[in-house]
Amino acid sequence: MIWLEYVIMQRALIACILAGFLMGLIGVFVVRMRLSAIGYSMSHGAFAGAALGVATAMDPLVTGLAFASGTAFLIGPIADKARLHVDTITSIVFPLNMALAFVFLTLTPEIGLTSQVANVLWGSIISVTNNDLVYLATLFASAVAIVYFTWKELFAIMFNRKLAEADGIRTKPFVYMIILLSGVVITFSLKLVGGLLIYALIFNPASTTLQFFEDMRTVVIVSPLIGAATTVSGLLVSLVFDLPVGSCIVIVSTIVFAVALLLSPKRRRKEENGNEK
Amino acid sequence: MTEDVIIKLENVSTVYEGERRPAIKGINLTVNRNELVYVVGPNASGKTTLLETINGLLPPFNGKVSVFGLDVQSHGREVRREIGYVPQDFMVKPGEPYTAFDVVLMGCYGQIGFLNRPSEEDKKRAEQAMKLLGIQELASRPMGKLSGGQQQKVMLARAMAKKPRILLLDEPFSNLDPDSRGQIPLLITELHEKQDLTTLIVTHDIHHMLEHCNRVIVVTGGRITFDGTPEKALPLVENHPHTTPLEGHHH
Repeated sequence: MIWLEYVIMQRALIACILAGFLMGLIGVFVVRMRLSAIGYSMSHGAFAGAALGVATAMDPLVTGLAFASGTAFLIGPIADKARLHVDTITSIVFPLNMALAFVFLTLTPEIGLTSQVANVLWGSIISVTNNDLVYLATLFASAVAIVYFTWKELFAIMFNRKLAEADGIRTKPFVYMIILLSGVVITFSLKLVGGLLIYALIFNPASTTLQFFEDMRTVVIVSPLIGAATTVSGLLVSLVFDLPVGSCIVIVSTIVFAVALLLSPKRRRKEENGNEK
Repeated sequence: MTEDVIIKLENVSTVYEGERRPAIKGINLTVNRNELVYVVGPNASGKTTLLETINGLLPPFNGKVSVFGLDVQSHGREVRREIGYVPQDFMVKPGEPYTAFDVVLMGCYGQIGFLNRPSEEDKKRAEQAMKLLGIQELASRPMGKLSGGQQQKVMLARAMAKKPRILLLDEPFSNLDPDSRGQIPLLITELHEKQDLTTLIVTHDIHHMLEHCNRVIVVTGGRITFDGTPEKALPLVENHPHTTPLEGHHH
């Protein structure tokens, strides 16, 4: 492939593999711990933060990370303490983050909708730097280590948080750890997919994998592989058709999920049972 | 003797999130070592709340709960590691990625400790608990594919696998087939004796009481309205519309 002769493309390919793997891995925990609403808010928090970074000429990674973790630490305890349903908080925080993002993006008239702003909105492969690859690789190693060492607790919480508590496991730190980790993964993958679309990559690979497998260990191994495969396929589609990379990755990942739904043995079994009744 | 007091509730009231009225109120209860107590009463009378207040899953709004002489509010996790708990109506949906063995072994996770992996001994305990309940052949089956009765046995095995000192069982026999309904309460009673357990069982199945327990608590409207022997409790609850006799007694 001629594209691979270019350093930019090599970097993009490595970034796609690492980000796809990371989002596929974290997505399993976000989906199974029913943290989707928080993950959704955080991804838009990261978007607002990155927008602030662009507007103020700061590093969008730093501001994105600050906003994502700020959103996580705001939502988690509020949900716990204020006894509000997470969906209620999400419904307030999501539009707020979007509003902030658009205010930040328009605050810089000299930039306008330049390429940097466009990168934050829907991602770009050209903007991926060597530093980004180092960050993603470090994050990759850390995420794998965290999942490996805390697997027992994460597994029990995914099964049922209340039962895990009833067995004497302190669940809160593990849930917060997953929220924080997903915020970091989202922020570091933002350049590739863009703030408007990134959440699909947390949700789709995990949901696709859960259609097929009945052993959680297999799900945790296959979901990152599907994540990486869809980001790489999306990258190739974007190069062939000269379309924005983030959009192509999300479209490919949604098609994969739709096909999984059609082929899902679990879903077919459920329908058969329903017909029998 | 105070060392024989395992569970002690002093003037305990518990309020659910978002609700004003306490689900249980002014409860005073002492359960001694190796007592087998059946908790009966109408639906929504506070039986489940009572169990979840004892194991500290629900913090009391008022009063003090001690287990093994420890305050459950400050020593909740320590206490819960010694309690085998089976929640009410716990059903895993088809397609969920957990095998029956996974679920049973998870019962030991709290005792294994942070960063440690389940040892061969832990796995053996889980296997033994499954064998005890006669479900060892279900070990590798996905939990969601099991019947309600089989899942209930898995949950009982899960509670037993951790070798608990206390058993808190919330309607543990409700989904069992008629044969198992005869066997499982007997098995629980045997284990209770053999392993020197202290056991509280919430049930609607009042006919088990006479055969298996030595104390009955009736909870009505969040209060303990009777605490005594099963013989005396039976006339109180027998004609109650919310208590159901053993399936076989119908026919």
